[in-house]
Amino acid sequence: MIRHDPLMLRVSRIESLSPTLRRIILKSADNEPLPVAGPGAHLSLTLASPKKVYRNSYSVVSFSGDHYELIVRRVEDSRGGSAFVHENLKEGDLLPSTVPLNLFPIQVGSRKRLLIGGGIGVTPLLSFAKVLQENGDRFEMHQFVREDEKAVFENLVQGVGSKNIHIHTRRPKEGEIQALLEEQPLGTSIYMCGPDGLMAAVDEAAETLGWPENHVHREVFGAAGGKPFKAKLAKSGCELEVGENQSLLEAIEEAGVPINSLCRGGACGACMTSLLEGDPEHRDHFLNNEEKDSGKLIMPCVSRAKSAQLVLDI
Amino acid sequence: MSKSRPTYSPLYLDKTGKRHLIVSDTAEIPAEALADGVTPDMFDERWTIAGHSKAIPGTERGAVADHEFRSMNHLLIALRRRLGEEKMGFRLYAVGAEGFLWEVRTAAVVVGMGGGEVQLNQVGSQARRVFCNHCRTITEGVTTNIVECAGCGANLFVRDHFSRRLNAFAGFQVDAEEPGDIPEIEEIYR
Repeated sequence: MIRHDPLMLRVSRIESLSPTLRRIILKSADNEPLPVAGPGAHLSLTLASPKKVYRNSYSVVSFSGDHYELIVRRVEDSRGGSAFVHENLKEGDLLPSTVPLNLFPIQVGSRKRLLIGGGIGVTPLLSFAKVLQENGDRFEMHQFVREDEKAVFENLVQGVGSKNIHIHTRRPKEGEIQALLEEQPLGTSIYMCGPDGLMAAVDEAAETLGWPENHVHREVFGAAGGKPFKAKLAKSGCELEVGENQSLLEAIEEAGVPINSLCRGGACGACMTSLLEGDPEHRDHFLNNEEKDSGKLIMPCVSRAKSAQLVLDI
Repeated sequence: MSKSRPTYSPLYLDKTGKRHLIVSDTAEIPAEALADGVTPDMFDERWTIAGHSKAIPGTERGAVADHEFRSMNHLLIALRRRLGEEKMGFRLYAVGAEGFLWEVRTAAVVVGMGGGEVQLNQVGSQARRVFCNHCRTITEGVTTNIVECAGCGANLFVRDHFSRRLNAFAGFQVDAEEPGDIPEIEEIYR
C-alpha cells in the first residue's frame, strides 16, 4: 500500500541518552505498515506545542519494519521544536509526520564511503553505517564529539559492530581532514553531516586534493535563527515579522499563506520563492552562486535578510 | 545518430585533478587527440603501446614519466593494478581506437571512478567491434555496414547501438526473414 502525508505516528518509547539527547521510537498509530525509510531518509514531524506548531525534520537513525528511531538534540537556541521534544513529548503522544523522504541517499558505484560527522550530525551517518556494515561494503567513519559525550557516542556506534568507526573527542586538528582525504583510494565518496565549520573544512580539503564535486555529499541542518526582519508577501498582500528564532518559511506558514516545503534545511529546493526586493542572506545549498548573486530567488526555510525587509512574489 | 553512440572531444588537462596519466594505443600520442594548447608533456605520465618486444616497462609510480608497452593487454594489466593503488585526485585520459578506449573506461569504472575523472578521445581507425545478438561472438575490426559473424557466420547488420558494457556495437542478422536477401555491402567505418 502506498501511504501519503500525513502519516500518523505514535511515540512508543522515549529514552534519555544524555542531558541533551533523546532517542524517540515512533510506531504506526493505526497499525498499518510503515513506509520504508532507507539510509539517509528523514521525517518532517508536526510538533504542536501549546504556543505554536513547529515542523521539524529529523534523520531516521534506523528503520526496523515496525518503527522509526530518531535521536533529537536539545539545541540552546532552538526555534522551539527540539525543546518541545525534550520537555513536552510523552510516550503515547500522536505525531503527524510526512512519509520518509530521502535527500541524502547512498549512491551506488562507490568503492568506498568515507563518513564524516560532527555532534548530532551522527544521525544520518549511523543509518548509513548500519546498512554498509550489513552489506559488507567498505567504509570508514570519523565522528567528532565533545569530550563529555564520548561515552554516549561510543554507545551509539557500538551497535553497528564495525572497527572502522572512529570517535574523536575534539575538533579536527589543522591539516587533519586533508591528511584523511589524501589517503583515500580512487572511487571513494564522502558523506558528511555536522557543523558548518567542519563541512567547510571537508569541502576545502576535497577541492584542494582534486575530488570531483559529485564524490562529496552533505546533509545540512536547518540553520538557526538570526536578526529579526520584515517580509512583505506581494501577491497575498500580507506583511510579516520574522522573529529571531523563527525561519521565514515558518512565518509564511503561520500567516496561512500556502508554500511548498520538504527538507526544511536548504537542500531540496521545494520552497524556492521569487524575491522582488531586498537583500537576502543566503544560507542554502540549493541555489548556485550565480542564482544567489542575482538576488531574485530565496529559500525561505533557512535564508534570511541582510536588509530590513524582503518582498516575496507570493 | 542514436544516443547510445558515444561522442568524443579533444582532451584538455583537467586542472582540478592533481595527477594526470594519459594512455594511448599508439607509440606516439597523436597531437590531434589533444585540445588546442595541450601537449603530451603537460601530463605527469604517458603510457603508450609500442607494439614490439623490446618494450619493457617498469610501472612504479613517479619513477619514469614515459612507459612503453608491448600490447593493449600488456598496458591494461598494468593500468588495472595501478588504478587499484591510486588515491583520489587522479585523472585518467585515453586516446586511440574505440575498443581500447572502453577497455580503459571499464577498468576505471571498476575502481569507482566517475565521468568527470576520465576523458576519452577516439583517433585513428573507425572500425567497429560488433557483438552478434544471436551467438554473442564479437567480430573485431569491422569496416562495413554488414559483416559475416566470426562465430556463427550470420550476415549481421551493424547498428549504431553501442554497448558500453560489452564495448561493442550491436549486430543482428539482416537476412533472417528471407535468407540470402542481403543489401549491398559498403565500407563505411574506415
